Amino acid sequence: MSSEATAGDVLSQSAPPQKRIVIIGGGMAAARLVEGLVARGLGSQTTVLAEEPHVPYNRILLSAVLEGTHRPGALALREKQWYADRGVDLRLGSLVVDIHRDTKTVELADRTRVPYDAVVLATGAIPTLPPIRGVVRMDGSMDPRVQAFRSLDDCARLLDTLHDHPHGKPRSAVIVGGGLLGLQVSRALAVRGIETEIVEGRDHLLSSQVDASAGKVLKRSMAKLGTQVYLGARATRLTDEGLRLDNGYTLETDLVVLTAGGRPRANLARRAELTVNRGIVVDDQLRSVDDPDVYAIGDCAEHNATTTGFVSPAWEQAGVLAEVLAGNEAAYEGHRVVARLRATDLDVCVLGEPQHESGEVVEIANPIKGTHRKLVVRDGRIVAGALVGDLSRVGLITQAFDRQTVLGEHEAGKLLLPEPSAAGSGVPTLPDDAEICACAGVSAGRIRACTSLEDVRDSTRATTGCGGCAPTVRQLLATRPNSTQQPSDTKLSLEGTTS
Amino acid sequence: MTDTHCPYCSLQCGMTLSRKGPRLEVSERTFPVNEGALCRKGWTAAGLRGSRERLTTPMVRDRATGEWSAATWDEALDLVAGKLADLRSTHGADANAVFGGGGLTNEKAYQLGKFARVALGTSQIDYNGRWCMSSAATAGNQAFGVDRGLPFPLADIEQTDVCVLVGSNLAETMPPAARHLDRLRENGGKVVVIDPRLTPTGERADLFLQPVPGTDLPLALGVLHLLDAAGAVDEDYVAERTTGFEDVRRSVAAWWPEMVERVSGVEAAQLRELASLLAGAGKVMVLTARGAEQHAQGTATVLAWINIALALGMPGRPYSGYGCLTGQGNGQGGREHGQKADQLPGYRMIDDPAAREHVAAVWGVAPESIPGKGRSAYELLDALGTPDGPKSLLVFGSNIVVSAPNATHIASRLAALDLLVVADMVMSETAALADVVLPVTQWAEETGTMTNLEGRVILRNQAITPPENVRSDLDVIAGLAARLEILQGLSVGYSPVDRPKLPGLPGPTWSTDPAEVFDELRAASKGGKADYSGITYDRIREEDGVFWPCPEGSEGTPRLFAEEFFHPDGRARFVDVAHRGPAEVTTDDYPLHLTTGRVLAQYQSGAQTRRIKELPDEGAFVEMHPLLAGRVGAHDGDPVVVRTPRGEMKAPARIVATIRPDTIFVPFHWVGANKLTNDALDPSSRMPEFKVCAAAVSA
Repeated sequence: MSSEATAGDVLSQSAPPQKRIVIIGGGMAAARLVEGLVARGLGSQTTVLAEEPHVPYNRILLSAVLEGTHRPGALALREKQWYADRGVDLRLGSLVVDIHRDTKTVELADRTRVPYDAVVLATGAIPTLPPIRGVVRMDGSMDPRVQAFRSLDDCARLLDTLHDHPHGKPRSAVIVGGGLLGLQVSRALAVRGIETEIVEGRDHLLSSQVDASAGKVLKRSMAKLGTQVYLGARATRLTDEGLRLDNGYTLETDLVVLTAGGRPRANLARRAELTVNRGIVVDDQLRSVDDPDVYAIGDCAEHNATTTGFVSPAWEQAGVLAEVLAGNEAAYEGHRVVARLRATDLDVCVLGEPQHESGEVVEIANPIKGTHRKLVVRDGRIVAGALVGDLSRVGLITQAFDRQTVLGEHEAGKLLLPEPSAAGSGVPTLPDDAEICACAGVSAGRIRACTSLEDVRDSTRATTGCGGCAPTVRQLLATRPNSTQQPSDTKLSLEGTTS
Repeated sequence: MTDTHCPYCSLQCGMTLSRKGPRLEVSERTFPVNEGALCRKGWTAAGLRGSRERLTTPMVRDRATGEWSAATWDEALDLVAGKLADLRSTHGADANAVFGGGGLTNEKAYQLGKFARVALGTSQIDYNGRWCMSSAATAGNQAFGVDRGLPFPLADIEQTDVCVLVGSNLAETMPPAARHLDRLRENGGKVVVIDPRLTPTGERADLFLQPVPGTDLPLALGVLHLLDAAGAVDEDYVAERTTGFEDVRRSVAAWWPEMVERVSGVEAAQLRELASLLAGAGKVMVLTARGAEQHAQGTATVLAWINIALALGMPGRPYSGYGCLTGQGNGQGGREHGQKADQLPGYRMIDDPAAREHVAAVWGVAPESIPGKGRSAYELLDALGTPDGPKSLLVFGSNIVVSAPNATHIASRLAALDLLVVADMVMSETAALADVVLPVTQWAEETGTMTNLEGRVILRNQAITPPENVRSDLDVIAGLAARLEILQGLSVGYSPVDRPKLPGLPGPTWSTDPAEVFDELRAASKGGKADYSGITYDRIREEDGVFWPCPEGSEGTPRLFAEEFFHPDGRARFVDVAHRGPAEVTTDDYPLHLTTGRVLAQYQSGAQTRRIKELPDEGAFVEMHPLLAGRVGAHDGDPVVVRTPRGEMKAPARIVATIRPDTIFVPFHWVGANKLTNDALDPSSRMPEFKVCAAAVSA
């Protein structure tokens, strides 16, 4: 390839060789990393080996597609052509079976090998399949009533089912798992007119994010929205009658959707003898602790003993890694997670880990209204929080959390109180020195001194600018002491000026 | 009685001036933009007439003692021209620089650009409009192939269905414009306002969104995300009239409402409300102003909002589209005729050989004698007095030390000059630092054209004679040019190319008659994008102004894009833009966002309005939310100190619940605000980031 180089070609020898970057995975972390590499001029050195047959798409939006509020065509993060135009070798439907660190190649299912100088694992997570008997039938196939919900294909299959089911259009569904995804899927199906029920093994909904009292509020809200929730119950068997729970109930259902969480997909890393705890262990440069040419980002990575299942830390990691691969200094120092439920008529925002953070707790709940809001504050900073049923000021609270703003005393509490409504000061009580017309700088007193709208225009020029004060001026004129319309407030005659 | 226009903002409201003894009186006049309405700035505009603060003699400052002394015009102009010629022969033509203003008439802006390129031979000219509309100008050129503030008359607002104002507080900054908004609402239309502060404009809105400063861009990406998700994109229009949509469509897939909420602080539900309002409207207008534009990503922000207008199929449709509410009186015309570092008259680009040839012919000089691109406004000021930078600066119609970002630094650059000359009507803060100050006429004392925010060329008529010994900027330019021609003609060491006049070429003329200069401007603009060749003073008088482009024989063009856009293929461009965020992020030491803006009773650096006694001059203040006031222990009316990495200022707190609690606001009409602001520049428009930086406040 570099056969053109001659002896005199000293300059090209000192230039750094083109580093071949191979990314395993085509999810959201991988897509963001590619954007970062392209922005740094490394697109033509990048190969993406994506298992799914689709160009990288926004997985976050799948429940909105299911709900019918997001056009399926508007999911892809980039066109195939975009990658090609920037020299990125995007190989869809490519299953990687091994990483050969000794030869610095990755091996695909068809036995082809792709050489790398740096390889990035962005393999994501695999959904946990709860041990329910009957889900997998004797012949090894999945019971047609059972659906997973993680990929675009899962979503498409589920949507197909809604339209075309062996037993007709399904009327009911049981969602296994009462986490964020479970609630979203449940709401999406409910919005489509399907009766839904949720089975959750823990003692309250969103148990990884919120406490029991917030979970209780959520359960009540779900009930109001027509969804029954079974807590502390595990599905054990799928039969012709329905889904049997360990508490003895059998839920009749046309559909079972599994949303019971996932775990880092680290099998490739394990086979390559890289350190894997819960996820692939990486340092602040997202580099494997065992091999300087292997990196991991997103759901499959474990940094500082933490794995996350969220997009924003994955994207932050991708941003840092793009810098690192471009030879710049950058470090990933962890990330504050804001988990935001996306579902119609169900408002939830979780900041950090309110279950685990210690600090001063400010909490305001109204079970009747279905709200439960809590902030955990340490040294004046919001370190965690959970907002259920009422998201007022969420745009301010998340900013304070993300920026770790030091708040004043009692300020966190005030953030949870309703905003003081700008009390409409009644016109008759306006003091004479109140400015009525900002354009001309005219006070209420000067307007009260006028006899008519024409008089106001000519002598004060109020109403002749933006015109916004005209209604107030008319009211002030109508409530003048000696106008035909007597003011009801007697105080006014004391304040009014003579005319 | 003289029909004319207000001296201040880009509305250029019509008004009539009449003489009442020694005084000049303003009365209303019907003009489509303001329909007789004026704000208090307009009503009191004649207040500088007879003011004791008017300069009426050239002043020269002794550098050793700092003392001022009066000079005759000949003494002052000889001194300046001599110094300019010396600097040029010692350091080269670019040692002299010119800084113009968006308040100058078209005739002055044109003549100033010609003076720089021909008489001084310098590439170093730019103007304060760079700090005003440049991001919208750059975005308009990229998207539509042309930059005209509004592509339709302002009154068209009344006929649209939804009007989205991004970073505009027009009810306070250009009050008569708010009448059109009110009429839109009377007609059943909706108004959307996006601003970190709930302003009087926001109070008129049907939907008000309050983002963190510097996040109008992700907000726009989020709106387009929802429009595409809902299938609200006008696919036929996109296919027939635009290019580049696919990349943009994909790029917004990453901006779902909850992601936007986290970045912008605007609740996802409000974003959805805005998107559904837009998706359901037949006619949509998106208008940006300084709030969206004065950012290091200002161009990208405007492009993101233009993308929305294009995706909805709006630009070119009646009562629809995108527009920029320009700010300064002649911000529009000022950049079209050669004050900008990269442009020649008629909105021609200075590096376009055909443009150079055309303009050189009008100027009577050789095309190769016209210098190339110079530095942008802030970069020009930043380079003053540096080894490679200009050694002198001539300032016309600008009060730099109040209006430039990072103003303390800029004041130190001015101090490093060998020569600072300021032409102004009063001793502004910048004039006070000059070596020579030249007293010039104000608006009622001269005639000239302005181009308002609609691209409508209007005429200001002289109503009164100027005070004795005060000259117009055109006189100043002509006086300097004549002296420089003699001095430089006699000097040795110039190559022929440095000499503007070559054998066989007539050489430039320096008329002081605005009508003559306008005729030359018409010829220079002929065939350019901003073609004024068909516009005459008489036509302007008869037709309430004429909209460019207006080639000879044309009726003018009130509405653009009905048939095609200005790119060679006639199509508009979608531009894929990414959010990088403000140049300066908050820290523990500087935990707040600082944003700046205007108040109703003042205009720009206040050089004029602060000297009009009928206008309240209450000084700067620091607007903050009660939550923040409680945090720092501030009380309404008591002084607080605002600090940024560049400087600090002290002003009374104004505690209001209408601003985001994580943001503070300071008006920029007084010295102080711009000591705080950040000089990070937009990569393409070179707009400084006036509208957001990190700050701390203490009681």
